[in-house]
Amino acid sequence: MTDLVLEHVHKNFGGVIAAKDVSMRVPAGRITGLIGPNGAGKTTLINLITGMLSLSSGKVLFGDRDISAEPADKVARAGMGRTFQNIRLQKEASVLANVMVGFHRHETCSLIAAILGLPSSRREDALLRQRAMALLGRFGMAGHADSPAGSLAYGHQRKVEMMRALATDPELILLDEPVAGMNDVEALQLGRIFRELADEGKAILLIEHNMRFVQELCDHVYVLDGGRLIAEGKPREVVADPAVITAYLGEE
Amino acid sequence: MDMLLSFRPLFDLFLIHLGFAYSQYIVLRAGAFSIGNVGLSAIGAYTAAILTVNYGLPLPVTLLAGTFAGLAFGALLAIPLARLRGVYQAIASLAFVQIVLSANLYAENITGGAMGFSGIPKLVGTGTLLVCALATIYVMLAISRSRLGRAFDAVREDEGMAVSLGINAARTQAVAYMISGLLAGLFGSLEALHSYAVEPNQFGFHLIIVVLSYVVLGGRRSIWGPLVGVALLIALPEISRPLADARIMIYGLILMAVMNFMPRGIVDTLVARRRSRAATPEVRQAEVKG
Repeated sequence: MTDLVLEHVHKNFGGVIAAKDVSMRVPAGRITGLIGPNGAGKTTLINLITGMLSLSSGKVLFGDRDISAEPADKVARAGMGRTFQNIRLQKEASVLANVMVGFHRHETCSLIAAILGLPSSRREDALLRQRAMALLGRFGMAGHADSPAGSLAYGHQRKVEMMRALATDPELILLDEPVAGMNDVEALQLGRIFRELADEGKAILLIEHNMRFVQELCDHVYVLDGGRLIAEGKPREVVADPAVITAYLGEE
Repeated sequence: MDMLLSFRPLFDLFLIHLGFAYSQYIVLRAGAFSIGNVGLSAIGAYTAAILTVNYGLPLPVTLLAGTFAGLAFGALLAIPLARLRGVYQAIASLAFVQIVLSANLYAENITGGAMGFSGIPKLVGTGTLLVCALATIYVMLAISRSRLGRAFDAVREDEGMAVSLGINAARTQAVAYMISGLLAGLFGSLEALHSYAVEPNQFGFHLIIVVLSYVVLGGRRSIWGPLVGVALLIALPEISRPLADARIMIYGLILMAVMNFMPRGIVDTLVARRRSRAATPEVRQAEVKG
């Protein structure tokens, strides 16, 4: 059970402030929402959390570990999985290969074994193949295992990203607009999987534009605008907040 | 039989260049645009030649020493190149090849300078070359099917994505440089102990272009790409021999044509075509059902 805590996170690119004094908590076992109009700094915040960008000041705590200054690959190995808003897949590789690379941090066979193709490496490969197929089954994608990932429909590509993130067996999953380009039925199916994951004890941070999806799924929501948190609370309360309505629709 | 024997030097050349091609392939596979492997081959070749002639060491020892020298310098090369990407990496690695070349030119009392290093006994025949080439192909296959191959592919396709999965990009590429150095050192040594003499310019710009052409023409992803590239580019000048003076032109034209119509290289383009054809009906079916 690992919580993510942000303490006074600040980031500026020269004179442009991308995140200003952001403090939030993403507890294990819950789905936490992060919403805000375009350009509010949501993806920047994800990049700050995952170590893709460095903080100007403030702290990011993951469990009892301070990961504020850790490089992105170390943060990932600490147990943080993510998906990307602009889907990032190995387009020509098969869906199975795309998912299998997610197991990287759990692979144990030695480098020499991998180079010489020793039995330990081959056993591990076969085992991961099975586990990847199980993941594909969970997402209803088993029939696409051998298709090149780039040939799939948009929504399916998002699912591949999610399976790859799950393959890292993260404690915290950051989902950057996971249901964009999906219909309500597909979104609902995914929502069910997210809920299962939270019930298993994982922390989930969900960035989403689909307000209905956020309201149905999230336990707690943060609203970001211009790099600042302008509201937080239960989804129903937040969407009724005048500051939030102003941020989305503009002043009267 | 005579006919076959007359092709033997060509076959030997094919096997040696296959090793050079794979030492280029493995860094490209890991997303590193380094051509430093040519310099590493030179290091392997000179190490093996000097140890054989000056110190009279036996073949297994000199081959191992040449291989290890390539590996060690590959590991060293990884340090400055880890900070660079793309064309900057290529230029820096080209500079490395130039440094090795001039070191071999100026260290006359050790390397023989511009005259080259000659009087090397021919200790390596087709058999040894074949064993080394087959072992190389086996290792390439093993890597492709392992965690290492998956990490190479991820770093090449999208470094940010690879990093988000916990892959250390610099370390992954460093491993690629070391494998590249190992192969370059081994096949450089084989070249030296096969061809009686080595000289500095043999491992210069010309070899860079030749080795790059193998991989780019054959394919950068599939492990069979370099094999096809080397086979084709070594066979081509022989096949087009009757065309005499025009054959270099034909060679160039074929390269241009392949790059235009199969920009990813012959093998990779064919693999991609077959995959998308195989995938289409299945995807359509699933879409109808879904």
